[in-house]
Amino acid sequence: MQKIHDRLDGYEPGQLKGKFNVIFVIVSIALVLIAMRLWYLQVIRGSELRQRSENNSVRLRKIKPMRGLIMDDGRRVIVDNQPSFDLVFIPNRTKDVQKTLDRLRTLYAERSLSFPPLASSFTGKLKPFVPVIIERNISREKLAVVETHSLELPGVFVEVSPIRQYLNGEMTAQVIGFTGEVSREDVDRNGVGQFTPGDIIGKFGIEKFLDPYLRGKSGAEQVEVNVAGKEVRSLGMVPSVQGDNVILTLDAALQEAAWKAIGERPGALVALDPRSGAILALVSSPSFDPNLFNGGISASDWESLATDRRHPMENRAISGQYPPGSTYKPIVAVAALEEGLITPETTFYCNGSFEMGNRTFRCWNPKGHGQVNLHRAIVESCDVYFYNLGRLLGPDKIATYARAFGLGDPLGIDLAREKGGLVPTRQWKLARFREPWQPGESISISIGQGFNLLTPLQLAHVYATLGNGGTLYRPRLVKQLESTEGRVVKVFKPEKMGTLPIRPQTIQMINQALWGVVNERGGTGSALRRKEADVCGKTGTAQVIGLPQEEKIRKAKRTAADYRDHALFACFAPYGNPEIAVAVILENAGHGGSAAGPVARKVIDAYFAQKKTTTPGVGEVAIVEGIN
Amino acid sequence: MIKLDRRLIINFDWTLFVLVLLLSIIGLLNIYSAGFSITDLRQTPYYLRQIQSILVGVAGMALAFFVDYRFLGRHAYVIYLLSIVLLAIVFMSGYATRGSQRWIVVAGFTFQPSELVKLTLILALAKYFDRNRLGRSWRLRELWVPFLIVLIPFLFILRQPDLGTGLILMILFLSFIFFVGLEWKSFFMASTGGLVLVPLFWYLLKDYQKERILTFFSPERDPLGSGYHIIQSMIAVGSGGFFGKGFLKGSQTQLKFLPEQRTDFIFSVFAEEWGFLGGMVLIFMFLSLILWGLKIVIHSKDYLGALVAFGITMLIFWEVFINIGMVLGILPVVGIPLPFLSYGGSSMVVLMTAIGLLMNISVRRYILQS
Repeated sequence: MQKIHDRLDGYEPGQLKGKFNVIFVIVSIALVLIAMRLWYLQVIRGSELRQRSENNSVRLRKIKPMRGLIMDDGRRVIVDNQPSFDLVFIPNRTKDVQKTLDRLRTLYAERSLSFPPLASSFTGKLKPFVPVIIERNISREKLAVVETHSLELPGVFVEVSPIRQYLNGEMTAQVIGFTGEVSREDVDRNGVGQFTPGDIIGKFGIEKFLDPYLRGKSGAEQVEVNVAGKEVRSLGMVPSVQGDNVILTLDAALQEAAWKAIGERPGALVALDPRSGAILALVSSPSFDPNLFNGGISASDWESLATDRRHPMENRAISGQYPPGSTYKPIVAVAALEEGLITPETTFYCNGSFEMGNRTFRCWNPKGHGQVNLHRAIVESCDVYFYNLGRLLGPDKIATYARAFGLGDPLGIDLAREKGGLVPTRQWKLARFREPWQPGESISISIGQGFNLLTPLQLAHVYATLGNGGTLYRPRLVKQLESTEGRVVKVFKPEKMGTLPIRPQTIQMINQALWGVVNERGGTGSALRRKEADVCGKTGTAQVIGLPQEEKIRKAKRTAADYRDHALFACFAPYGNPEIAVAVILENAGHGGSAAGPVARKVIDAYFAQKKTTTPGVGEVAIVEGIN
Repeated sequence: MIKLDRRLIINFDWTLFVLVLLLSIIGLLNIYSAGFSITDLRQTPYYLRQIQSILVGVAGMALAFFVDYRFLGRHAYVIYLLSIVLLAIVFMSGYATRGSQRWIVVAGFTFQPSELVKLTLILALAKYFDRNRLGRSWRLRELWVPFLIVLIPFLFILRQPDLGTGLILMILFLSFIFFVGLEWKSFFMASTGGLVLVPLFWYLLKDYQKERILTFFSPERDPLGSGYHIIQSMIAVGSGGFFGKGFLKGSQTQLKFLPEQRTDFIFSVFAEEWGFLGGMVLIFMFLSLILWGLKIVIHSKDYLGALVAFGITMLIFWEVFINIGMVLGILPVVGIPLPFLSYGGSSMVVLMTAIGLLMNISVRRYILQS
């Protein structure tokens, strides 16, 4: 009883004595059971099991699955698989490591094949049981040498595994991405069974985004091996399952046209189908060769890619954020019309400059455009007209309409790292800089300068939406997934994000002006004029740094290449019922009309040239629809 | 909250500390051996990472030692809820990536909340049973709150899916029930109810789920998966014989016949290289650890301390028994690590922290007396 009072809260383990006995018995039985089992396995069956371990000839061989193929809209294969022959060496399968390696070296030398540098120095580090890779992805000649002389090369094996082949290389690199060996972190994190070291997974782009579908499922085979480690027979196997094929919305021909048109210049191009949001081409330049990543990228290749000042690994089309320049003007015009601040007939006088407080904002044309209405202002890209709109609207009203077009947030394309751009407001300025909005900043943003930022994808999206009359479709790259047998696994349908809260006549008015930019006299986009289809578009020239306007004109020829203007062009075609919308941004390339326009033109030309050859098909569809 | 007391040092539980440290060092040698034949020089070797885990674990141990466990008891529900939130985050992100996911990233380290839940569940159940003392055995319907406490994390973990950890949570719950006592009538009701529900449950399952459960209980159904693992594991253990093949000399290990040899099957690496002798030493060490834990339960000065210490001791006991039983082929293959020996940071850190708590309870029996 004395003891109970010592306890702080009346707890007396003495009451639990019986329970502790039971627990003690359970623990003892459990551990004695284990000890007995250990005795049984190690002592009673010890010599037998040791024999089995020495003759252990049953191995579990993992069968790597084939990744799914990636194809374009027309079923042209963009990513294929091909076998890679890896030369593997298992040291304890030969009596004399050096002799075997020397033999291989001599055989190579006789045929003047290069011997990989690795093999000459690695003998010191070898551990007897462990296979080491002498060379990955060996050539056919080397394969023939090793196979025909296999008896002279004990311990040298050829292992076959599928690797990716990126047929379009640099052209589609940022969209497709690449694969690589699963990292140890991934293996650890995902626990037992999900991955094993050596598995191939998508690391970037579509390869990463759709990895769970593309990857497939590993199989396994129990094989009996002889003393030399050669497989004698199969004892049973679970076949691997090939990953699903991915059909993209991309059109490889347009992609190629766009890639070639951009050439070596840094920039990006996005082509969309305004009727569905399907991405027809998405190019980012400069690019990289995804085939370098097959079988592990070499350290020097990686180094040069990662440190390249031009950032070839960045997908500029979705994560590059640029000031839109004059391509932003239609949005400002929409805002002014919808807010009732102007009518299509409202005119402003442009004498080449605009006064605001003590600052002077210049029009791109120092001579001025005279008395202009909205239509002429868009066609001739008159800055002063839009300065007036900016002053009337202020940032918040412009922002409302910009956001309605889907700017300011990522659009949700099927790729990682999409940026959302920036739509400035008074509140944003205050939160970001702790300074109130300056009236002059409204003037800058009215022509797409200042704080405004958008991605090439967003630019194409804005023009696609204008073109189709105001329906917002989520841009998408993937059309559907199919099993290897051709069964459709999953369809990615066009997704409506909403409708522009704008009167149809406003959109029509803007589109007429965009038609005028290309097709009327004095329009800034005349480079795009073509007979087959009415192209509607807008040029843009965006300052890279905020040089004061007057200085800019004087210094234009002398500025260093890095500070030259970005050239932009955005368009859709044909007028009225557009099938394609294109946005081009070329970094530091100068004027939109002369630099970016021709690039867009080549893609539009490629689109309509291709359409011409496939027109009968379209006709047939129309007839079927007529019957229904 | 933290009160540095001279008596914390004087009465420090050296037995517990040395035992756990020895076990971790044995584990380290084992992981070194299991990873010995990996030639990939680009990545940190496993044993170095395990050293990191042990160091973080010792820090966790120190923290759990110095904070009065009654303080932890007071906040047990909050701690429990936080760990559930972590589980939910893992669940959501797993959903987002369309795959199973068990980890989250905390300050650059990946962490499995399911390991943490083992400890927070012990704290929450201990607090519940400390607060609600009946002075008699419990009836079935009175147990719905503690059942809910275990059910929430259990369902999350089952969805991951991680059958092993889910199983451990349920066994911990049953151990607690045993500790606080269940009425005989309730016991019979629960067992007959369980027996009736099993076939009903089976009837509701889909074919592929049935197949999975059958494989789970008889590995021969899946000769390429767990069946192969068990056979190779038994060959490895048996071939060790009485004295073992010696450090770094286990051919089953070095030739990679053994699956998951760093993690769940680490005991077979040990048994192959150190033989029956080594195996018995290890089992004896675990037995000492468990008995020492039960001693702390008996000597703890309050009910909360007794409950927490009991929960932790049972956690270690069941994990040891199920893991080794699985490796030796007498229990089905479920993913449960061997305490202090298996490779894996989350398990190591959580168990070390749990040991810190045990020491805490052990040392405070001297302090609380006054």
